[in-house]
Amino acid sequence: MKSVRWVSGIVAIALAGFLVVLLRTDGDTDVGARSPLLGEPAPAVVTTTIDDAPFDLARRKGSWVVFNFFNSTCVPCIAEHPALLAFVDDEAGRVDGVEFYTVVNDDDDRAVRDFFTTNAGGWPKLRDDDGAIAVAFGVAKVPETWIIDPNGFVRLRILGSVTEGVLEEQMASLRTNDG
Amino acid sequence: MGDITRKPARVGGTKKSIRRIVWGVLAVVGIGFLAYGSLRDTGPLTQQDRIDAVTKRIACPTCDGESVFVSRAAAAQAIRAEVARQVGDGVRTDEEIVAYIADRFGSEVLLVPRSEGLDAVIWVLPVVVAVALIGAVVARFAVRGDTDSPPTATSVLPDGTSPSARISRRRSRLVGIVVVLVVGVVGGLLVARQAGQRLPLGSATGGIADSTASLLAQARLAGASDVSAAIELYGRVLETDPDNVEALTYRAWLIMLSARQFDESLQRQAYASTIAALGRAIELEPNYADAMCFLGIVVFRDGGDAESASEFIARCLEREPPAEVRGLVEELQREVAAALDE
Repeated sequence: MKSVRWVSGIVAIALAGFLVVLLRTDGDTDVGARSPLLGEPAPAVVTTTIDDAPFDLARRKGSWVVFNFFNSTCVPCIAEHPALLAFVDDEAGRVDGVEFYTVVNDDDDRAVRDFFTTNAGGWPKLRDDDGAIAVAFGVAKVPETWIIDPNGFVRLRILGSVTEGVLEEQMASLRTNDG
Repeated sequence: MGDITRKPARVGGTKKSIRRIVWGVLAVVGIGFLAYGSLRDTGPLTQQDRIDAVTKRIACPTCDGESVFVSRAAAAQAIRAEVARQVGDGVRTDEEIVAYIADRFGSEVLLVPRSEGLDAVIWVLPVVVAVALIGAVVARFAVRGDTDSPPTATSVLPDGTSPSARISRRRSRLVGIVVVLVVGVVGGLLVARQAGQRLPLGSATGGIADSTASLLAQARLAGASDVSAAIELYGRVLETDPDNVEALTYRAWLIMLSARQFDESLQRQAYASTIAALGRAIELEPNYADAMCFLGIVVFRDGGDAESASEFIARCLEREPPAEVRGLVEELQREVAAALDE
């Protein structure tokens, strides 16, 4: 009898605990996605652009860097393109404007060139032929957008398409936090 | 209910002892097998074997229930290529490679749960439950054996047991529970050790705490608020990697900035060493914008040479420096132009 009471008491406490946890959890409503890289130095990225210019992320310290993982056949990538154009245009007018890079994921140079010729976007496009950059960032599906601060630390990861104004909002918040 | 008041007769006691010895031997043999399994050396593998073994331990992040080894998905192919590259480099062990992938994609991609932390419960719990079940069965048989023995009571409680028998039974029960827990947990840990993933890296960047990348990151963070700490950290990078262009450049730049508050002779010394270090950085990496930009700034501000500064600044801007450095240089460019006009 005594043991039954003990067990019931423990079960009741455990249930109450679960309830408290559930009530205190806000749910995942943030734009930013989880990643073990958040707050850590960004992985090394040494590659070339599709125009054969060298690129080394370590040499971009001192600038905010945005990586957008992209594939020209991916529908969400096409859908978010106008939002990216607006963001890059907005940042171009700033002294501390971000450096925006497309990271080409599992796609060929010609398809990427054709896409950007048709849809605009004059920023550099980085090759990731063997997927090393995608693996280093833990990118399994495109599009994904990552923000790296001027000290070279990963600050934000956005899974899926970005809608208009989202990147502007996130950058403003990151700059304020650093301010 | 038969009265159980005293220890069974000698014959029963001998049987019980034999039974206990048998169970003990079985437990020792079982634990021995687990220990052997967990400690045995599987021997060397070829590179392809290593790649296959590692990719079989990682789930494809975009497919359901397929390993990277099996999957043809683009993400799985990229992971396979990364594993092959790291195996080829020969720097990381299999566990370190799996840890690198798990750090990037999360522990969801581990097909075999880890042998430590909360994941270890997956390995330990079934063993504890199995040992507890075996223990319960053994205890049941033991009780039946006791009830079969003839009662030889001297004093009996209202529920039909003697006080000494009750104490003895409680003690046996307690000992039984402790033994089950110990054997279960130890067995479970051995299973976890053998079958679970033992991943050595804790940090997301997958490096040693004081690796060059980590020191550079710390120096970069310290740079703005604690110049001497940043100089020290860049110095530590140069101890292991004397040709590290970033450390050479930023250490020299910070030394020059902090020397400005001291007397002229110290400033002259700092100027000479800064010019030498920036020159070395440019020699090592001619396209490194930051070194060229700092050279322009230092030559003008501390050397008073507007003509050389103008040349260096032009080269710096050609190399597309990052925003922070560009800001410094563009500000200076006007001053240099004015000095040249004079």
